[in-house]
Amino acid sequence: MEPTPWDPEGAAVVLDAQGRVAQPGVPIAIDLRAYYKALVSARCLDLRLAKLGLPMFASCSGEEAPLVATALVAGELDWIYPSVRDAAVAVARGLSYEEFAHALISGCDGTALPGRVAAPSVRVAAGTDALGVHLAIAAGQAHGHKLAGDGAITFALLGEGLTTTGVFHETLAVAIACDLPLVLVCRSQLWPQGAPAEAGVLGDSVGERVRAHGMWERRVDGADPIAVHQAIAAAAARARDRRGPALVEVVVSQLIHDPPAHRDPIERLRRHLDAQGQWSATFQDVIEAEVRGRLDRALAGAGGLSA
Amino acid sequence: MQVIDALAAALADLLREDPRRVVLGEDVRSGTMIGITRAVAADPEVAPRVVATPLLPATLLAHAGGTALAGLRPIVVLPSLQAVLEGLAGLREIAQLAWRNGGERTAPVLFLVPCGPGFCTGADAGEGGEGIVARIAGLKLVCAGRRDEIVALVRAAATFEHGEDPTMVLLPRALLLGELDDGASAELGRSPLSAHTLRAGGSITVFAWGPCVETAAAVIDERGLDATLIDVAALQPLDREALLAAARATGKIAIVHAGPRAHGLGAELAALFADDAIYTLDAPILRVTGDDAPLGPLDEWRGLPDADHIAHALTTLLQH
Repeated sequence: MEPTPWDPEGAAVVLDAQGRVAQPGVPIAIDLRAYYKALVSARCLDLRLAKLGLPMFASCSGEEAPLVATALVAGELDWIYPSVRDAAVAVARGLSYEEFAHALISGCDGTALPGRVAAPSVRVAAGTDALGVHLAIAAGQAHGHKLAGDGAITFALLGEGLTTTGVFHETLAVAIACDLPLVLVCRSQLWPQGAPAEAGVLGDSVGERVRAHGMWERRVDGADPIAVHQAIAAAAARARDRRGPALVEVVVSQLIHDPPAHRDPIERLRRHLDAQGQWSATFQDVIEAEVRGRLDRALAGAGGLSA
Repeated sequence: MQVIDALAAALADLLREDPRRVVLGEDVRSGTMIGITRAVAADPEVAPRVVATPLLPATLLAHAGGTALAGLRPIVVLPSLQAVLEGLAGLREIAQLAWRNGGERTAPVLFLVPCGPGFCTGADAGEGGEGIVARIAGLKLVCAGRRDEIVALVRAAATFEHGEDPTMVLLPRALLLGELDDGASAELGRSPLSAHTLRAGGSITVFAWGPCVETAAAVIDERGLDATLIDVAALQPLDREALLAAARATGKIAIVHAGPRAHGLGAELAALFADDAIYTLDAPILRVTGDDAPLGPLDEWRGLPDADHIAHALTTLLQH
């Protein structure tokens, strides 16, 4: 299949557009059905939240791979600092739907930011009001773990929009200078909404800019959940081995922009599983019914919300 | 012994006493601009916990909060109050961490911040920036008022027995440059978040903090004024009940502070007394302050009200 304008250049893939392994022989060392289930759960969550009419809500459909992969890769003692529209991270990390609904609707005593959840019980940090400051706090926490020598690492999620901010550049500077066990997971889009061409963002590679700073980076295609997982796992392994900070750039296509089907990470992994005989319509229906049912009950219990 | 040297020695003690404590800052390994970290950087036992960062004007305060979230007790030594203003966004976030996380996360960071005139740097010396910082919800802000007490105040603040919110101790440069009397106490003997009475008199009540406390005390002593002198010390939260009790006791109030008069903490105190002590007041509330900023390096002392200025105001108030 010919690349479409939606397919990023120079971004690593494991699965091609049809879900076939592009480079046979590369070991895939994760439970793909569990990963698929987590991705579908994140999608169901997003679609359900979109119907709630939450203030400032932004959909993450199409961007689930880096969210779920980060949650799966993070160790029990590691903290994750999500960005906006990253509510799915907490659920992928094991927050129950009841706790999620409670955190979303009432916040921690009403203090959560709109559409975001603080989930200290599963080590997902609260968001920040000020743009990008969660990156600085995450770097600080990574620094603390390094000084304490407890082996924990810290993850922070961001969108490419933050890469022009001073906070982002200071975070890179301190992470490199102090060799922090910090993994930054950056989602970027080929066609970012609202970004003017003259901003120098269109078609640009965050990964290249980060490499110029002197930080280890990987640029992967967000439509391929396996490539995303491998890159984030590699970055985390480096950080755990005290080999320093890393940034994984994940090029995503938001479904609200109506990209071709192969740009949907869930569809691409579904094609892969289907070809292996590991996917069926029943499997899909069971996942969706379970998530929707539990989520509906949780939301109704938390605040009587119904879509 | 200079106050700075005593403070440097105390900082080394603090690191020896608790392995969770680390010193963070841009130039902490070379002693910082004023030498506060000279002793910790030179002591091989604690020097590994003296951590220099690159220049992080916007994010150092947030970064320090993150290290506290990992279980450390960071002590951040900043060059000036201006550095706090540069990092304000991050300070806001870490001050609200406990609130945003339903009390499940706290960031016990201690910030040591030289402020006010003293080094002929101008800039923030005349700005009275404590009024800006005091408005940050969740932050604890105290200001050292006496040379003899600076070390004890920093030690008390570093224990976080007053709560685990980020805590900032303002260190007036005018005091840091001074010599220390032999009688300086090692223990504060009160909460760092409390106001305290330095002189007890029956006719007027003088509220002061920072570099104005010693000047006001000297004026009262030299002229034999019948005045109560309160070192406000805790700027956020204010020690409301103690302040109100002192205000009601005489009904004649003077507020003496560094920096410009408008929009300062003096106005907040005056409003507090107007709200809750108005029926016991016998005179208009008097404020004695520094000149308006900006002040050039050679004019920076005009950021402090001088002794004659304070004496004239207190005498006027006594005769009201």
